[in-house]
Amino acid sequence: MAEFKRRKRSSSGAASSSASAAHGERLEVDPEKRVVAVTGAHGFIGSQVVRRLEGDRRYAKILAVDIRKPTLPLDKTAFFKIDLTLPAADGDLAAVLREERADTLVHCAFLGKPTHNATFAHELEDIGTMHVLNAAAEVRLPRLVMLSTTMVYGPHPLNPNFLSEQHELKGHRESRFVSDKVAAERQVRRFRVEHPQTAATVLRLAPTVGPTIDNWVTHFLHRPVAPTLMGYDPLMQCLHESDAIDAFKLAIDAEHDVSGEFNIVGDGVLPYSTVLAMLGKLPLPLPSFVAKPLSRLLWATQVFDSPPSFLDFLRYMCVADGSKARQVLGFSARYDIKRTLADFLGMLGTGIDGTGDLAGATGRMR
Amino acid sequence: MSSGERPDADAPAAAEVLPLQVEVDDEQAPRPAADAQVPPASGAAGVLGDVDGDGDVDQDDYDAYGAEAAPPPGEYQPYAASMDKRAQMWSLGRRSEDDELRELERRLRAQLSAADPIEERRKLPLEFLWKRWREFAMQGRSEAVDEFGRDPVFAGKIDTLLEFLYSKYFRVSVQGLENIPADGRALLVANHSGSLPYDGAMLMHAVKRDHAQHRSVRPLVEDFVFHFPYLGTFMSRIGGVRACQENAERLLQQGECVAVFPEGIKGIGKLYRERYRLQRFGRGGFVKLALRTDAPIIPCAIVGAEEIHPMLTKLTWLTRSLGIPYVPITPTFPLLGPLGLVPLPTKWTLRIGKPLRYHAEFGRAAADDRILVNRLSENVRGKIQEMIDEVLVRRKSVLFG
Repeated sequence: MAEFKRRKRSSSGAASSSASAAHGERLEVDPEKRVVAVTGAHGFIGSQVVRRLEGDRRYAKILAVDIRKPTLPLDKTAFFKIDLTLPAADGDLAAVLREERADTLVHCAFLGKPTHNATFAHELEDIGTMHVLNAAAEVRLPRLVMLSTTMVYGPHPLNPNFLSEQHELKGHRESRFVSDKVAAERQVRRFRVEHPQTAATVLRLAPTVGPTIDNWVTHFLHRPVAPTLMGYDPLMQCLHESDAIDAFKLAIDAEHDVSGEFNIVGDGVLPYSTVLAMLGKLPLPLPSFVAKPLSRLLWATQVFDSPPSFLDFLRYMCVADGSKARQVLGFSARYDIKRTLADFLGMLGTGIDGTGDLAGATGRMR
Repeated sequence: MSSGERPDADAPAAAEVLPLQVEVDDEQAPRPAADAQVPPASGAAGVLGDVDGDGDVDQDDYDAYGAEAAPPPGEYQPYAASMDKRAQMWSLGRRSEDDELRELERRLRAQLSAADPIEERRKLPLEFLWKRWREFAMQGRSEAVDEFGRDPVFAGKIDTLLEFLYSKYFRVSVQGLENIPADGRALLVANHSGSLPYDGAMLMHAVKRDHAQHRSVRPLVEDFVFHFPYLGTFMSRIGGVRACQENAERLLQQGECVAVFPEGIKGIGKLYRERYRLQRFGRGGFVKLALRTDAPIIPCAIVGAEEIHPMLTKLTWLTRSLGIPYVPITPTFPLLGPLGLVPLPTKWTLRIGKPLRYHAEFGRAAADDRILVNRLSENVRGKIQEMIDEVLVRRKSVLFG
């Protein structure tokens, strides 16, 4: 297994200058020997994408980019330590892409959980995406796949029940976590106009839930008590973690043009209260005028790890329509919302989801 | 410690007591370690610890080993000795594999980490309590709702209430239900009134109850009601959908029967003296919708609903800041408090008119002709006003009949 240390600052200048000297030569996709770079390869989505690509013989080499090495047994993956928050990250990344002749870049370096360190979040998500796009433009990369979330539509009283990809990205004006992702998406939109040679795919994942993923949703659902806003019970949607990885694989594999945004969602919706009841959580109903200041206090004192802006997701619907992904990408979720929740509980196949016959095949019995 | 002396001291003793010791082991595998207070990781001493041969493992055994004879934590018997014992076990035909597994398990248990009390928690009846709570919480709701949030279990429960209101309280009589097609998309357009959306619920119930195909009607609910605490959730669970073009189009594409109240909030907030005078029909969105989706428009007149809450005036002062458009003033509200919210038991008549097939006449492209759309919208309004007037002329009493 090849392993590369982070390039020294002095050499990065040389690498980028040599890259620009070679400018004009375009990287091509060789369908039998593809080389895929994955940023955020230590994170859940990134590492699982790397793992899935490892098992596919069409992929000759995988370039894992992160600040920490993925904790997986890797055969054809090379690790590159590049910190996307550093100013020279774009040059470093471009040099790696050019040297390894990468044809696809999968950009998963996003935060799964909101952080109090807003500066770091901004540097990683917004500026990090800028670096990634700069690198992709520099090497004239054929393909780019980026992670995003359906939260970018924002919880809004005027949302239709099913948000299509054309819907405006309202985000949430108080939420750094959402607005950084909206900013990243806007950059990709601009990039697509300026660099039509790169097919840029954005996968907007519905809140991803599963037995092994660690993000704000699973954190929220691991607590025995969950707050609800009195009188409000919006419909919720979720995506199973393995379906999320499937969608990435489809987008990376695709032999036709899959440029554009896609909502990646699991089938079915459930009211928030039913989700809590199915998971056996104790709901804590609060009027909004109590919930908001309370949540602000708990967030400011770092007791609670969901910012106050997330309360709006418990108030208004933010459900996306996955029909475009089904038609263009050929993606259909294997887990509907009920099975996803059952799997999250570790009770898949125990009858909770009405699929007792799956006990032996896929169940993780408790 | 000299490893040479231990097999000599140990192996013969083990060989002698082996049959007995295995039997003891069958019943009390995890116990010896705890009882004998043998250092946890010294696994060999736990299982084969019956050195004094009295059939169980106790402090005597530990003493019999001697302090230096007890293997230190993490160190196991020499390979030769254990192989020797295994050979003896095999020759005796005992379940040596089981013993080894049990031994391994015991060693693992001896190295429990701080996180393992969580494992132990599973032995508490918490799981049972959790299941009970889950069953309790799932009462009155189904595990699957349709994509717009209609909950069949909840709607079924509410059905009883709607049936009471329909046949006993408002004594609704329906005319022209046959005008609603047996299947496929249809857009019911009705007048709106009565402060709370009883009319939508009654129209829905009428079609569900008396139509030949018992079709379910999806009423489009205006934002004010949809985002009103509890009321919006309630409407959504019994089949209401937030009124917007995307939702209505999706429903009609799926071949549903959709009910719209184009008067919207202006209709709900009609004063008593304005009753049965139809307000402006929005911006003609429903006509565009019908043209775009090839849906027939079916005009409906709901008579009786406009008197259930005779609103004398409405207060708009300071209410905007509370997020509600107005506070209604009726003869009973707010005078009687919550009791004032009980609607008057008026006699209702629902008349459903002949379908208007504008889509066949003008085609899809007409949806972009704003003047035409407005004219058609006015046509429908005129049609419904006409139907209302016809019913009103024949009506003998507001409350009886």
